[in-house]
Amino acid sequence: MARVEFDDVSKIFGDGTRAVDKLDLQISDGEFMVLVGPSGCGKTTALRMVAGLEDISAGVVRIGERVVNDLTPKRRDIAMVFQSYALYPHLSVRENIAFPLKIAKLPKEEIGRRVDEAARILDLEPYLKRKPRALSGGQRQRVAMGRAIVRQPAVFLMDEPLSNLDAKLRVQMRADIKKIQSNLGVTSIYVTHDQVEAMTMGDRVAVMRKGELQQVAPPQELYDRPVNLFVAGFIGSPAMNMLEARVERGDGGVSAILGDARLELSEHPRLAAYDGQTVVLGIRPEDLEDAAVANGDAGPRLHGQVELREALGAEVLVHFAIAARQAVTEDMRELAEDVGDDRVVGKLSDGERPMSATLVGRFSPRTRVVEGDAVEVSIDPHELHFFDPQTGLAIRSR
Amino acid sequence: MRIRVLGLGVRLAVLATFAVFFIAPVVWLVLAPTKSDKALITSSPFSFGDFHHVALAWKHLDAFSSHIFRRWIGNTLFYALSATAITLVAGVPAGYGLAIGRFPGRKLVLSLTLVVMIVPAAALVLPIFLELNAVHLIGSSFSVILPFSFFPFGVYLAYLYYATALPPSLLDAARVDGCGELQTFLRVALPLAKPIVALVFFFSFVADWNNFFLPYVVLADSNQYPITVGLWDLLSSTPSFNPAVGGGGQSVKIFKPELALATLIAVVPVAIVFLFSQRALVRGLVGGAVKE
Repeated sequence: MARVEFDDVSKIFGDGTRAVDKLDLQISDGEFMVLVGPSGCGKTTALRMVAGLEDISAGVVRIGERVVNDLTPKRRDIAMVFQSYALYPHLSVRENIAFPLKIAKLPKEEIGRRVDEAARILDLEPYLKRKPRALSGGQRQRVAMGRAIVRQPAVFLMDEPLSNLDAKLRVQMRADIKKIQSNLGVTSIYVTHDQVEAMTMGDRVAVMRKGELQQVAPPQELYDRPVNLFVAGFIGSPAMNMLEARVERGDGGVSAILGDARLELSEHPRLAAYDGQTVVLGIRPEDLEDAAVANGDAGPRLHGQVELREALGAEVLVHFAIAARQAVTEDMRELAEDVGDDRVVGKLSDGERPMSATLVGRFSPRTRVVEGDAVEVSIDPHELHFFDPQTGLAIRSR
Repeated sequence: MRIRVLGLGVRLAVLATFAVFFIAPVVWLVLAPTKSDKALITSSPFSFGDFHHVALAWKHLDAFSSHIFRRWIGNTLFYALSATAITLVAGVPAGYGLAIGRFPGRKLVLSLTLVVMIVPAAALVLPIFLELNAVHLIGSSFSVILPFSFFPFGVYLAYLYYATALPPSLLDAARVDGCGELQTFLRVALPLAKPIVALVFFFSFVADWNNFFLPYVVLADSNQYPITVGLWDLLSSTPSFNPAVGGGGQSVKIFKPELALATLIAVVPVAIVFLFSQRALVRGLVGGAVKE
């Protein structure tokens, strides 16, 4: 077991692409660190640099106290689980799991003992004699895990290990991997583009974008206090609503004008500096509620038109339009491109954007609103997020 | 309805014509050793003689130059197997290196491999002769084996397999699991390439077995001939092909049935190799076409 440290690490490919840019990241002994970000953000490259499968262009990677920059993968004491599982098709399940031990020339009895142990933990005992092609996706995934844990390595590296599984199995394996990791207490780096995986599995989550580390924090902090627009937009599903709001300084404090609504903010000294300017206002879907079913309070209200109602049982996602402008920045555009949504991209190129924005609210199932209804929506004014439209950085209240 | 029947009839007729055209010589050859030299001319071309004549033809063939025919078969096996072994040991790793390695000159080597692949082997015989002569190898077994071991097609087959059908993550996995580069090749890349090894083995063996021109040029002693050159030697000892031989009192009894038998025997090893490697061959030819 060991800690892993990226010290000013960069990766520049032959064609000049900067895949990872001056990455500084410390992963403590036994920690489960998730690297997350859209495709092309450099997370897999960072992982492969720890594995020794990718040269390090600049900076230093340490595992434990050792600088491993120039060590071959075999000398780094790591184990890796690949997206494609990378099981050896010509070997049986038993031989696959035993492979790294055989290469390390462990005694036969020891190999047998460790493989049996791993097979027991992963429920693979009935399949030990099979070839990988005779296994289901979930079983293959577990064999790949088995091959990693028999090594008893200092660090586990996992490169999107669940992305080839169907949704249900993914949820189960997510829990299994997390459980195994915490039982073994092995330092782990887990790469994913799925923010739900990142939130549920990581002790801490590092969000990357275009090779740069955006924020590293425990999942809840990442969710509650994103440092910038990118992190705010990436973490959370449905995504945070991003709108343009005008800041006005009044007697009691600061107000944000959103369409026809005025949101009074008693304490937000830093926002006051933006008096008269437009900022980006972020509202999480769960901080919006149908005023008709909201509990009592007479907080600020938005007035909108329901466009779509998605009943999920425990909650209802309501898409509604209000008279305000959608915030469209470079970050928004990149996030939209990542999920294949070209509407925002189109809007950015339009000079004139309509004075109408669609918000998503996570309403109580008691809500009665349906498509076409006018709806009054209450907002929790304490849970608003503000961002500088130029830098994208969060404007924190404290 | 009538048009469909007519169409079917025409298609069958065309197919049958071509089938007969190509199969007839083979049938004739297979039947030839069952007849006497004279019967071969006088009887129906596709009639069966008797097994007695086959035995007689073998007796004559085997007696030719004190069992030299057996020697030729042995020589050919030795040349073809040695050269194929070298081809496999050198060619498969070479293809792997070209597919996986990143080194200066890789593209050049790859292009050269393609170029020499399409140069006919016969075109190189003269320069190879001069080269072997310069290093005093003319007349030795090496003069046949070494040039035969040069098999760029095998390198290219291995390259294609490793560049297209082998997932790079498997090699990464092997490296992470503790393999050095050599172990990665031997324990993962090579076992997975079994179909390609079979394919290279087959093509190389057949090419070596059938090569005539090079051994004809570099070997002088008939005791060293491979079967291809031996058949030519037999041919020139047959009175019907070479009137200069077969004069009175001549003990050589090589006639058309003996030649036919010799040819058939010469084909047998290739057929056996094909039968054994057939399953792997088919897998090799379609390998990578379907992703699991």
